[in-house]
Amino acid sequence: MTASSDNKKISKKIDELKAGVDWFYSDEFQLDEAADRYKKLNSLAQEIEKDLNELKNEITVIDKDFSK
Amino acid sequence: MDNPVVYSVTEFQAICNQIIENAFTGAIIEGEVANFKLNQGKYVFFDLKDAESSVGCFMMAFSLRFPLEDGMKVRIRALPKLTKWGKFSLTVQAVVPVGEGSIKKSLELLKKKLSEEGLFKPERKRPLPSEISEIGVISSTQAAGYADFCKILNERWGGLKVQVAHTQVQGEVAADQIIRALQYFNERSEVQVIALIRGGGSADDLAVFNDEKLVRAVAASKIPVITGIGHEIDESLCDLAADVVASTPSNAAQMLSRDKNEIIDASWGNIQRINNLLNTRIDEKHREIRDLKLEAKRQIDVKITTFQRDIEGILRVLEQFDPEKVLQRGYAIISGKLDVGSVVDITTNKKMIKAEIKEIKDRN
Repeated sequence: MTASSDNKKISKKIDELKAGVDWFYSDEFQLDEAADRYKKLNSLAQEIEKDLNELKNEITVIDKDFSK
Repeated sequence: MDNPVVYSVTEFQAICNQIIENAFTGAIIEGEVANFKLNQGKYVFFDLKDAESSVGCFMMAFSLRFPLEDGMKVRIRALPKLTKWGKFSLTVQAVVPVGEGSIKKSLELLKKKLSEEGLFKPERKRPLPSEISEIGVISSTQAAGYADFCKILNERWGGLKVQVAHTQVQGEVAADQIIRALQYFNERSEVQVIALIRGGGSADDLAVFNDEKLVRAVAASKIPVITGIGHEIDESLCDLAADVVASTPSNAAQMLSRDKNEIIDASWGNIQRINNLLNTRIDEKHREIRDLKLEAKRQIDVKITTFQRDIEGILRVLEQFDPEKVLQRGYAIISGKLDVGSVVDITTNKKMIKAEIKEIKDRN
């Protein structure tokens, strides 16, 4: 998994969370579905926090002499 | 003068030049510019003087990285040379303005020139990409500014691919190294943005970021450039030519990355809000159900009362037809055969009577 694809994966989860939250404020809101959806979003928030904290930057010093 | 060594003029001149070259592999000299002249746009001539002496200087125009004017104090690196016309001159390899006044003057001249060419126009500026995943950094990896940049970047976000071109960020050779690094990133097109980073320093330390060739290279970069040079109060010509200017290396890292802690907080904030919303909706449903129950009970009570009233009415009607009630009102019931001479039974409220029929006739 590259850093870039990890970032995309997290961005997708963040978008998913936002869309999930929007549903609660929309006309589509149904109390019957809300509890399940809430549980899923709670898990998603936990995943996002874990992913973000585990994600590390790849910093590479280029192997080239720029003095020449 | 037995067997004296006899030189031709050219030989003598060559020997003199060799001796001078051996003595000065590259003299650094400070002085004031006088009689500055640019010939055919390619050749630069000026005299370098102090209170007592003066020496002619020559250099190629492409080596001139800062505008010069008469009266400016400069430091040159030059090779002394005896020309074929017997004139002593300095072939200048590099020249930099020195002293606050000269640096300022040189900077003003260059700024005016590049500004007139349109290098600093706002419409040339490109915004940073919205989703940054690949960054090119040009800095000295030993510089404090670079360490600050990496620290802030790592604290704020992960998953970024950062390629670092290690160059000098001050001194005579720094500008060319940075230009090569800009070319390196532009030739490969692997990064989305180039960050030119350097921590604080004196005006002399930061002078490289006012180098004309470097400023032009920053302006010409196909990849957007963000500068984070010096402190907040420092403004270089590279800053003016860059697409985005950060006040410091740390600020550049902030501008290039999202803050994961903000995102984590926002995620949990959203969860808390929908939790509250959900509780509100559940409370509303509870109230709704309670109200419905109350309404149902009220409706049932109304029905029961109505039925009770109807039954009471029926009972009252029925009572009117009760024979006992009729007798109580003074009426009597006669039973038996209705013939003259027959004996009939008469029932009253209080009595049972037997009576003989004497006469029967129609009422009408």
